[in-house]
Amino acid sequence: MKNLLEHMGIEPERLHFSWISSAESTKFVDVATKVTESVKSIGDREKKFVKTKPKVA
Amino acid sequence: MITFKLNGQTVQGEEGQYIIQVAEKYGIYIPTLCAHKALEPAGMCRLCTVELFDGRRTKFVTACNYPIWEGMEVQTDTETVHEGRKLIVEMLLARCADVPVIQQLAKKYGIEKPRFEQEHETCILCGLCTRICERMGNSAIALTERGLDMKVDTPFSVQTDICQACGACAFLCPTGHITIDKINELITANKAEIIKSEYDVGLKGRKPIYVPYPQAVPNTPVIDRDVCIHYKTGGCKICADICPVNAIDHSMEDEIVELNVGSVIMAPGFEPFDPSTLDFYNYSHPNVITSMEMERMLSASGPTGGHLVRLSDHQEPKKIAWLQCVGSRDMNRCDNSYCSSVCCMYAIKEAVIAKEHAGDDLDCSIFYMDMRTPGKDFEKFYDNAKNKSGVNFIRSRVHTINPVQGSEELELRYVSETGEILTGRFDLVVLSIGLQIPPDLIALSQKLGIDLTPGNFCETSTFAPVATSREGIFACGAFQGPKDIPQSVIDSSAAATAAAEILADSRNTRTKEKEVVPERSVSGDRPRIGVFVCRCGTNIAGVVDVPAVVQYAKSLPFVEYVDDNLFSCSQDTQENMSSIIEEKGLNRIVVAACTPKTHEPLFQETLTSAGLNKYLFEMTNIRNQDSWVHKNNPELATEKARDLVRMAIAKVAQMEPLKETELAVNQTAMVIGGGIAGMAAAKSLADQGFKTHLVEQTDHLGGQAVNLYHTAKGESVAENLEKLISLVKDHDNISLHLNTQIQNVDGFVGNFKTTLLENGKEEELEHGAAVLATGASPFTPTEYAYGQDERIITSLELDKKFTANDPGLEKIKAAAFIQCVGSREPGRMYCSRVCCTHSVENAIELKRRNPESNVYILYRDIRTYGEKEYLYKEARQLGVVFIRYCLEDKPKVSVKDDNISIVVTDHILNRPVELNVDMLTLATAITPCSDEKLANFFKVPMNEDGFFIERHAKLGPAEFATDGVFLCGMAHYPKPIDESIAQAKAAVSRAVTLLSRNFIYSSGTIAEVDQVNCAACGVCVAICPYSAPSFDQEGRFAGKAGINPALCKGCGLCVASCRSGAIHLKGFDTDQIMYQIFEMEEAV
Amino acid sequence: MADNEPKILSFLCNWCSYGAADLAGVSRMEYPSNIRVIRIPCTGRMSPKFILAALRRGADAVWVSG
Repeated sequence: MKNLLEHMGIEPERLHFSWISSAESTKFVDVATKVTESVKSIGDREKKFVKTKPKVA
Repeated sequence: MITFKLNGQTVQGEEGQYIIQVAEKYGIYIPTLCAHKALEPAGMCRLCTVELFDGRRTKFVTACNYPIWEGMEVQTDTETVHEGRKLIVEMLLARCADVPVIQQLAKKYGIEKPRFEQEHETCILCGLCTRICERMGNSAIALTERGLDMKVDTPFSVQTDICQACGACAFLCPTGHITIDKINELITANKAEIIKSEYDVGLKGRKPIYVPYPQAVPNTPVIDRDVCIHYKTGGCKICADICPVNAIDHSMEDEIVELNVGSVIMAPGFEPFDPSTLDFYNYSHPNVITSMEMERMLSASGPTGGHLVRLSDHQEPKKIAWLQCVGSRDMNRCDNSYCSSVCCMYAIKEAVIAKEHAGDDLDCSIFYMDMRTPGKDFEKFYDNAKNKSGVNFIRSRVHTINPVQGSEELELRYVSETGEILTGRFDLVVLSIGLQIPPDLIALSQKLGIDLTPGNFCETSTFAPVATSREGIFACGAFQGPKDIPQSVIDSSAAATAAAEILADSRNTRTKEKEVVPERSVSGDRPRIGVFVCRCGTNIAGVVDVPAVVQYAKSLPFVEYVDDNLFSCSQDTQENMSSIIEEKGLNRIVVAACTPKTHEPLFQETLTSAGLNKYLFEMTNIRNQDSWVHKNNPELATEKARDLVRMAIAKVAQMEPLKETELAVNQTAMVIGGGIAGMAAAKSLADQGFKTHLVEQTDHLGGQAVNLYHTAKGESVAENLEKLISLVKDHDNISLHLNTQIQNVDGFVGNFKTTLLENGKEEELEHGAAVLATGASPFTPTEYAYGQDERIITSLELDKKFTANDPGLEKIKAAAFIQCVGSREPGRMYCSRVCCTHSVENAIELKRRNPESNVYILYRDIRTYGEKEYLYKEARQLGVVFIRYCLEDKPKVSVKDDNISIVVTDHILNRPVELNVDMLTLATAITPCSDEKLANFFKVPMNEDGFFIERHAKLGPAEFATDGVFLCGMAHYPKPIDESIAQAKAAVSRAVTLLSRNFIYSSGTIAEVDQVNCAACGVCVAICPYSAPSFDQEGRFAGKAGINPALCKGCGLCVASCRSGAIHLKGFDTDQIMYQIFEMEEAV
Repeated sequence: MADNEPKILSFLCNWCSYGAADLAGVSRMEYPSNIRVIRIPCTGRMSPKFILAALRRGADAVWVSG
């Protein structure tokens, strides 16, 4: 999946997978923080794949 | 209601409120150091000074204690107010130059250095402490002296026993002038200390009002009467004032409630052994901890947040030692001579987790006598810990733990296997403490007339493993004997069955029928969405701007009605919601509140009671996943709440009413396997009134038990087996099928159709549930010269000799046993659990018959777990010689003319010794039947050893993941008779929850195949862990996949894997999730 | 929301990570507020389509957690 995204020009930092058990709240917080930081670190995305709404005349 | 102006804004407050309270409600900040909502204001610090215009003139008043009145005008932030406050702060700074709170305030007001002379006081005389002390009902401290000499003090500056050392003054003190240390030093004659959290075994404090642990049921706080100050002085009761729903009533008393019941189940548990009585372990040293403390330290929710430290200096340890058998297997230093069964396994687990936390460099050593890992998959875990994780296992019982002078370390002196005396230094020593029965439980047992074992556990017999000595009272869990979670779960289900057997007649006699509200049809209607946003008191509303979310929701498409509730889950709100749904004709509901994991069923109930299908509902989580975790960021939390609510609305608009399919249950059971476990299960089902088919492939009942002589408790197996066989044979509800094979199984939970081949005749039977009790068989050894001489026999063959009273036994002068024949070695990496006890028991029997004989047991670890340890001890006392060997150096057996020669390396002498014996018994492994055909018929899995895999290793030990199929006995894992019978009863308990119903209902959120689009590729059939999809055999769509709603758990695996997009997961369909995703657009 | 605050769409398994997220709340932990949660019955439900749709619809990142 990450390869596919990279192929499309989307950084791998934009996709994260993790496995957390329901008792691991600390891990959840850690991962949530890391994911956010990693996304912030690569800065704003050039949203070229974002579908824009059709312009109505 | 009083209306007045605050900073020009028209605001409202209640009669009797003060300005500061109204300001807080409207989010206007007024600084204060001396106000607290639990206390009457005193206007001491003057920081809250505001400007008041009373119609004629302007004056300065303190906002904390000035009552509001109609028409007044208040300004909280004018230049003059600011100037006034600045002066106050300047003077405070002059008095208390070193107090951080004051320094921060000064910085805020731009004061660098006061113009007045600097003092180094810490008290600002705000009086919070004296007022809270009064509220606590003590008045141990007051503001004494006058003018410049004023200070907080006790009468005559003497430490007073009026002070309850509650610490409230230190808690409220804004400057840190009063601390717990100071209370102990100057104020109280008692001792102020933190209340230790029982859950965190004292490593953390807790409050007098607390929830014992996060998973507690019910999850409501309790007041600890022993420490609550109200119960000491009659004061305080702040909690009752603060509770917005008035749930706290201090006058509640314990009640004596009399219940009339048919049976009683005892599940009182155990207490961990307290090592503080054993001074040589130096448990008082901070770096000597118990295994329970270690458990909490390793837990992510524990006192150190899962960070492993030694407690003396909070440094990460580099070397940790575990000492086994603390409070177990020890007659000299404590009275617990039994083995606690669970400690070896938990020590290995802790060591492995510690290494996972701290990395491979952490050195973990476990000091043990025998490593006892006889549970399912435990041996593999032990092997991996040793060979993969690198945990050191040192066979030695450590006598003393010595603190090292001038260091945080601890020194252990121990004797190595080769007899050398070694010392090792460790940062942390964990005492693997045993399980014991607390004194009050012993007293309770005596009161109830229940017999106890020598170890004070509940006395039970092998053939009735959960029945106490008193009829109608059953026992389970560690009270019945030290045991781990799976065994406790098995026992508890077994006890439930035992209780149900005697109460079977009264089943369903006191049930109440629920009133059913007819469901309103909404098909084709335009969505009319109702949104309820919960304030959860201040839990949500304190962070998230609830009115703003409500306003926002009103603007979204299809939304007809939005409101906020103080507590959405309260009874009256539920009723109110129900009537609003009917009144406004709402047909989709969103609740934005806590978590659906706990509250979804409750709100769905509300929908049902309003005549709405319960799946026209979506709940979104703005508390656990929003307000609670973003409390310092109200704006972002509110924005998140808006997004979440919008996503939920988008999804709910796509929701359709779902049906829960009703399926009739055939209330007949089938038990496969006529051994002890199978018979016990069949009998229990039949006793509870369920028709039961008992299927056995041979021509007789009894299974492997027919070969056994005595149980570990000395009961005759033959006698008890005979009794059980005749009860089963004569039971009206049991149809016996001997010489029978299973030919085919069709159907699913509640409706199985099984084809039997009985004595060559085919027969199809219908049943609702199946219990697999197919047992195991003894391994036939290929080593130790087995088969070369009739004096070399297996354990079961020795049992036969005992049963037959073989005269040859009397002549035996020397006998030996070799343990672990075929077990615990590559290819069969599991412990067969029963063989140590069996050999020890037989060794005792040989000694009894012929006290002069020499009996040797050649073993790797003696695993007489629980109270079976007494047998081990007895054998040693009788002079049975135990010689340990290791896997790499197995004993060598050769047959000689007059005897059998065994050469084994003695572990104490460390050199080979030769034993010449007249009889050699091989304790052979137990191997499963591993009937793959049967496993396929019922779609149940087997592990690599060939034992069946249960639904959950800990919590579902007697059932399969496939609904309606249960398991017990040695088909699950090798086990002694008592554990087999307990598991049989446990399987029955689980089966009866199904069989006692006339109908079962599938969940609505299940997968469904759109068969027109199905390509019949079979991916779903192969991938489903619950065997729900299968190819239709007949009809229009024969050959295409269909999903059985009774088996589907709604996980969605098949939906994601379906290549043709033919499978839909109702309630979580692609469209529904996509619409949630689409709402991201709005968010960005 | 400020421009530099990315929005992350997360798909959480109802039984695992969603539970952990709830517990984080109960334990009053704090983490960045950039995450929007979609609860799914199991990560088995996840489909690459969802990830693509989310990125296409403007999510800055996707987090899938079982």
